[in-house]
Amino acid sequence: MAIKSIVQVIEYDFRNFFRYRWFIIGLIAMNLADLFISAVVFSQMANAELVKNYFQFFAPGLAVVGLFASAFMIGREINMEVRREIHHYLLSLPMTRTELAIGRVLAGGLRGMLYMTPLLLTNFIVLHFPTLPQLLLILLTLLLLAIGISGVSISIAVSTTSFEKFVTARGVVYYLLFFCSSVFYPLSVISVLATKGLGVLVTFAQVNPLTNGSDLIRSFLLDSSSEYVSLPLMLLNVAVFSAIFASLAVFAYSKILQRH
Amino acid sequence: MGLRQLLLVIERDLRMFIQYKFLLIMRGIWFVSQVALFGLVVNQMVANAAAVAGIDYFEYYVVGVTIITLYSTAMFIGYDIFEEAEHGVFEYLLTLPVSRRELVLGRSIGGGLRSFIYVGPLMMVVLLLLGVSNPLHFLIAFAAMFLFAFGVSGMSITLAVAMKSGDKYDIVIGVLDALIVRLSTTMYPTLYMQRAAPAYAMIANFNPLTYASDLFRWGTGIEGTLQFAPAVGILALFIFFLAFTFVGVVFYERRLEGGSWQ
Repeated sequence: MAIKSIVQVIEYDFRNFFRYRWFIIGLIAMNLADLFISAVVFSQMANAELVKNYFQFFAPGLAVVGLFASAFMIGREINMEVRREIHHYLLSLPMTRTELAIGRVLAGGLRGMLYMTPLLLTNFIVLHFPTLPQLLLILLTLLLLAIGISGVSISIAVSTTSFEKFVTARGVVYYLLFFCSSVFYPLSVISVLATKGLGVLVTFAQVNPLTNGSDLIRSFLLDSSSEYVSLPLMLLNVAVFSAIFASLAVFAYSKILQRH
Repeated sequence: MGLRQLLLVIERDLRMFIQYKFLLIMRGIWFVSQVALFGLVVNQMVANAAAVAGIDYFEYYVVGVTIITLYSTAMFIGYDIFEEAEHGVFEYLLTLPVSRRELVLGRSIGGGLRSFIYVGPLMMVVLLLLGVSNPLHFLIAFAAMFLFAFGVSGMSITLAVAMKSGDKYDIVIGVLDALIVRLSTTMYPTLYMQRAAPAYAMIANFNPLTYASDLFRWGTGIEGTLQFAPAVGILALFIFFLAFTFVGVVFYERRLEGGSWQ
């Protein structure tokens, strides 16, 4: 397997990413408005026994939201390429299908990391800076998460024949993963869904990689008296998610494109 | 002005709306997940504060989400305009035996009406959840929602034709969406915006989404303590509707020809 080919695919996807600069600016505006307007107001409303400081609680969740949205964008492009048959050109390039597929999955994840960086820096500024080992662990977790999300996105993109179906599937995945996670509210509060007969969603929230990703950042950035502690299981959970969906995406991208 | 021509333009926009069926499904999924997941869970988190403000947060939020959906679907018309410009449909529209004014007014009304048709069933669900304590209040609030939807549609058209650039439109709409929803009372009461940052509450007082959501709450009878008299809310939405429909018509008429779309 040639690393150079994979790097070229990543470069191709990064160039494409910057074509969406207007979309990205809109996304950043929305993320910052979520933090500096909505989270500030909810800080006044949230029950202190459940969430000590909602603004501080939400900031790590926001980095994960940004990471998710930007890593997911690769699927939109791949779906468009399939519909416009650009994949014929990509398949004609002097590289194996596996190299192409790996490059695309990695590019999706790295683009997510790039977009998320200013949001993570905002976290460091408004909360506190982690130690070097903590920073490395945070970055590793987020990178694995981003690659997994990119894998989910590509798997959906190559399995749907129209943009509308892709958008619908994306909507279901987005909202299920976002709202059934501890991105917006603590796990202890989500347990209310069990009393409404939605216990399965509570279990889903507990194993949701977005929950593990955001809670792991919280364990390092919120003060030590908070209920968040980093557990090796969190990293393992995210790593398993990443391995499953990255492999699925590589397989689906290689096989399904060939069939098209 | 020919009523028949106007109706034809409105009919065309309603037909075009059906093209967005999957985007509409996605909006529907968003609405359900906002209500059934986010609304339920956050209600638990802010129940005490909501009680201090004299509201049930879940009910408060359900109405807010309905207004956000009405707003976002009414904004779709701007994307239609760019799609037409990109595919050269504009030139075709200009050749039709319809005056510029009929075309523009028809689009503004069509844009608002189709968002209402979409949000109508969602509103029914909301009404089933909340009930209506005073039918007269509800009818007044419902009529005010038309003003709001037509106003948003006019605003979308105004922005689209003022910019003539898909990129610029995307960014302005992105930023506007981010601010207009969050700096309104769709998600939280003014009381807590005031406590968080008085500037937020002040901006919210000039936001049409604030008037629309508070009036709709008043119409369903879930908020007894309105920050403003209902007549003031209706007047604010009427001014919003009039300003953007008028400005939209003038802008669209003036900038319709001459190309330069990017």
